[in-house]
Amino acid sequence: MSAPLLAVDDIHAAYQSGVDILQGMSLAVPVGGFVLVIGPNGAGKSTLLKTVFGLLSPHRGGISFDGRAIAGLAPHEIKRLGVSYVPQELNTFPHLTVEENLRVGGWTIRNDAARLRARIARVYEIFPVLAERRRDKAGGLSGGQGRMLSVAREMITEPRLMLVDEPTVGLAPNLAEQVYELLQTARQSIPTTILLVDQNVSDALRHAEDVVMMNLGRVKAAGPVVEFGEARVRELIQECLLG
Amino acid sequence: MSASFAFPPSFRRSVITIVVTAAVFAFAPLVAGSFALHVLTISFYFVILAASWNLLAGYTGQFSLAHHAFAAIGAYTSGLLGYHYGVPAWIGIPSGVVMAALFGVILGRLVLRMRAIYLAIATWAFAETVHIYLTADYQFTRGELGLSVKPLYGSVDPLPYYFTFLALTVLVLIGLRALIDSPIGYFMRAIKDDELRAKSLGIDTTRVKIAVFSISSAIAGLAGAFYGHFIVLLSPQMIDFSEMAKIVIMVVIGGFGTFLGPVIGAAPVQMVMTYLQKYGEWNLAIFALIVIVLMRFSMEGLASLFTPLWRNLWARHDA
Repeated sequence: MSAPLLAVDDIHAAYQSGVDILQGMSLAVPVGGFVLVIGPNGAGKSTLLKTVFGLLSPHRGGISFDGRAIAGLAPHEIKRLGVSYVPQELNTFPHLTVEENLRVGGWTIRNDAARLRARIARVYEIFPVLAERRRDKAGGLSGGQGRMLSVAREMITEPRLMLVDEPTVGLAPNLAEQVYELLQTARQSIPTTILLVDQNVSDALRHAEDVVMMNLGRVKAAGPVVEFGEARVRELIQECLLG
Repeated sequence: MSASFAFPPSFRRSVITIVVTAAVFAFAPLVAGSFALHVLTISFYFVILAASWNLLAGYTGQFSLAHHAFAAIGAYTSGLLGYHYGVPAWIGIPSGVVMAALFGVILGRLVLRMRAIYLAIATWAFAETVHIYLTADYQFTRGELGLSVKPLYGSVDPLPYYFTFLALTVLVLIGLRALIDSPIGYFMRAIKDDELRAKSLGIDTTRVKIAVFSISSAIAGLAGAFYGHFIVLLSPQMIDFSEMAKIVIMVVIGGFGTFLGPVIGAAPVQMVMTYLQKYGEWNLAIFALIVIVLMRFSMEGLASLFTPLWRNLWARHDA
């Protein structure tokens, strides 16, 4: 078996010292995989992504990306290695135009004008709506288009790993499905690997290949989706909630 | 359709507007007397300070209270080099710019990781430190006695200084506009919009902020260095907090975070303040009140009155 792209090994992390949100969390994401992390509220799912991206530093344990230790690096350094992070809240810049938003996403390749130009052109090809609205302020986009822009913006750097935090929260069900398709598009066209955190279990399960169930800051169960029916997942969630 | 970087159409329009406006001001000496020219020259100095502070506070969201100190660093560097070592202005002024930029980088590294209110306090403390140093080390800086600086043109006739500051203002404004419309401009605005989001995109926000901080400090140093050779007597009064307050007042009245704001805010405020000088500190109190009221209702100040005019002016070109 080949080495995983991302390996999280027994990490402990806290927002406040003494109160660990992650308590010995481990997981491995294979190259080209689509791993879904689920779990009840407060399980530490979002914290896991923030820690991998360097917004939070683990005080124990290791994180390696493509064989390189990344725990303790700053977000912009991790980003440069090819990791993208799409946070839960809508994260476009409302006062910048669609195109400026895309360009802002290209920080790591800002000195390579030709490459930046090609990537932006490619994103417009994949998402023609964004090309039409390139000169409009991002604040005027609809919720679905906003999501599209934030995923498209990450595609500018052609990341090897995308960390996606609850991309469908607050969206209508039909839009939610579009968002998953968006992620699949990104995955196949870049191509990239996805680590997705989601509460929208039934929809997300249809797209993921592997699933990791978290509770109280560590893994409760993990395995390929084919071995994890939705019924089994629901059972596990209930166990977590009822203790 | 090319997606490569090009200045937006608004850049060319701004440059045209700046140059045309400056051309109109070039005729001012035909009608204005020497005192009026003197006041206008000082107004240009404040346009540069206000516009460069607005780059930092209005466009990047970094509310520094040390901008007047950077102007003083520029002025004193050139002044002291001339006073003690006989260094001519053409070396003194660039040295002042470099010194201000250098202090900008150092202070920036120390304070730009801080959040808004702490940044304001830390930069204010820095300005006070410079103020105290200039006052206390009077054997070197001449303190409150004042440091005499050689005039740039051998005389104190305001005409050549008027044109110098007019040209300087034009160059600085075009430079600032280019910066705002360039890639660093949208990284700046992204940081102002939401720094955490910018970070999550992998933008090295501290680096962008330090770059903007040192550029705006260098511009303040440039204005200060020329200013010293114009008023020919420097005193630590230059770093009095009221000077910083004046810059903030100019920007807020003109329009915070707008390009036009500091340009149209600086001159009227400077002129009104000059003529109200006999009321002393009350002068500042009245303006502070105006600022509080303005900030409560609109941050776009006088500039918002010009926005529709600006659109109409170019509407035909867009059609």
